[in-house]
Amino acid sequence: MLLELDDVSKVYGVSCGNCLELTGDSSECAICPECNAVVAVNRVNLSVEENEIVGVVGESGSGKSTLLQMIYQDQKATSGEIYFNGLKDSNGNKLSLFNLPSGKTSWVRNHEMSMIYQNPHLGLNFNFSAGGNIAEKIIGSGEKRYQIIRDRALHFFGKIEMPTSRIDDYPEAFSGGQQQRIQIAKALSSSPRLLLLDEPTTGLDVSVQAKILDLIKALQYEMGFSMIVVSHDLGVINHLTDLTLVMKNGCLVEYGLTDQILEDPQHPYTQLLVSSKL
Amino acid sequence: MTTNKVTFGFFDEDAKKEIRRASLKAVALPGYIVPFASREMPIARGWGTGGLQVTLSLITEEDTLKVIDQGCDGSVNAVNIREFIVSVTGVKQTMATPEATVIQTRHRVPEYPLTSNQILVYQVPIPEVLTIVEPDTAKQKEMHASVDYSKLWVLLYEDTSQFGDSRISSRYPVRVNDHFVMDPSPIPKYDIPKLNNNPSLQLFGAGREKRIYAIPPYTKVEPLKFTDREFIIEDFGDKCCERCGATDVYLDEVHQEDGVHFFCSDTYHCDTNKNEVEDAA
Ligand SMILES: Nc1ncnc2c1ncn2[C@@H]1O[C@H](COP(=O)(O)OP(=O)(O)OP(=O)(O)O)[C@@H](O)[C@H]1O
Ligand SMILES: [Mg+2]
Ligand SMILES: [Zn+2]
Repeated sequence: MLLELDDVSKVYGVSCGNCLELTGDSSECAICPECNAVVAVNRVNLSVEENEIVGVVGESGSGKSTLLQMIYQDQKATSGEIYFNGLKDSNGNKLSLFNLPSGKTSWVRNHEMSMIYQNPHLGLNFNFSAGGNIAEKIIGSGEKRYQIIRDRALHFFGKIEMPTSRIDDYPEAFSGGQQQRIQIAKALSSSPRLLLLDEPTTGLDVSVQAKILDLIKALQYEMGFSMIVVSHDLGVINHLTDLTLVMKNGCLVEYGLTDQILEDPQHPYTQLLVSSKL
Repeated sequence: MTTNKVTFGFFDEDAKKEIRRASLKAVALPGYIVPFASREMPIARGWGTGGLQVTLSLITEEDTLKVIDQGCDGSVNAVNIREFIVSVTGVKQTMATPEATVIQTRHRVPEYPLTSNQILVYQVPIPEVLTIVEPDTAKQKEMHASVDYSKLWVLLYEDTSQFGDSRISSRYPVRVNDHFVMDPSPIPKYDIPKLNNNPSLQLFGAGREKRIYAIPPYTKVEPLKFTDREFIIEDFGDKCCERCGATDVYLDEVHQEDGVHFFCSDTYHCDTNKNEVEDAA
């Protein structure tokens, strides 16, 4: 098991203590009627295996980004545990990502996981060149030899089908689709075990989207990492993923094989989603 | 009863104690930036008030003071600071590096090797090494706390990719005691190796930014560099000091109507070297 979420919740605001029960799937609301706290993620359980590709769908505000951010430790969960890659404490007990010593936290983020954001300004530093952005990830994973860093940056720049002559150009000199490619090169340059993608192609031309999805798929096949892909677009989910989880009001309402969910959705909310989008 | 007598060291004892406490904390955490309550001085901020406050907080009647500005004891700033300190302490002053026990400096480390009986106080304009890559002070703190200097490394990467080497000529980032990375103040790259394992205590004071940091005696200090690249210091080729003939020192380039001239930046070193050469002749 690469990743395990155990009853993970995120509440924004001061919680009355009953928020999780008072909101969610059945109550049709993610805002606690008692205390007005926002329950962004409500007791989610999930396992992701090596090499598995999981899609996350759900309407705007259902907690998809928050879920990814907690896994990537951009956000701290309010309750629950996230276990990663069998990390254990000195007594041999499973160690949650939230309880890692601070040095280890950045180690997991730099070596083991990468995130690709919808907004390239979140994923790339626009003050650094394309190559510098890729180098940042490689350096963060512990490499301090210039030639190795440069060669690996060039290697991944080639992988995203960009002419290597442009590696020292700055992000604003690239198109939106190219900026997403650079994010991909950066994310993969540390050879992570888990790639998190938050709407990686939203806002791009359909033809550009398709090429980027094909690229992601090809690189996943070649390098063999697990992925969690958040998307509004069931087409993207269908194209990329093996498994799909459906979120509503912060709750996971349906989880299964992507083909089955798209062809024969069980939860009424998923049925609505599939019928309207496909 | 009030007297017109100025307190020794200009500050009252409480103020000196506060600065010393910050200095002690800085010594305990080599390379870590410690805030202190920078005080108003009869010299404008940005003219060495950080170094001055550190010097005044630790100088005693037994000390002998040297002040240099870019290696020179005779520059207007150095003279002003030295005269001010002497006027409020009555300590002995000197230009001879080996005779000094407290040396306040701007932009140079003296050529003459320092000893464990000496304290070198640097005047610092910008104490935070991360400002060039991260303007957000909260993020800077986080980066220091997790010893994450990858953004500085990216700067090195970019310079190496585009220019073959780092373009940083002064304020070259150094890692102290295998931990924090700090700004060594605007000394040339030439002086960076002298910070390493130096027998003297090195204190850094930034007045405008209200910060103190330190390198304790005999501490490991390394420039940030890729393991497969050399740290290259200024090379003056076959140039030598026109005044004393020295070749193994940091030279100032002086542009005059008849062309470029080279002189020792460290004036005390130049004087002693000149005398030795003349005595030998
Ligand atoms: N920093 C925050 N402070 C307060 N509330 C927040 C914060 N971030 C997110 N939320 C709230 O948490 C809920 C879940 O947000 P999240 O961004 O995870 O949704 P999402 O499913 O990614 O939506 P979208 O599809 O629009 O990106 C929303 O109600 C949102 O308003
Ligand atoms: Mg989102
Ligand atoms: Zn000379």
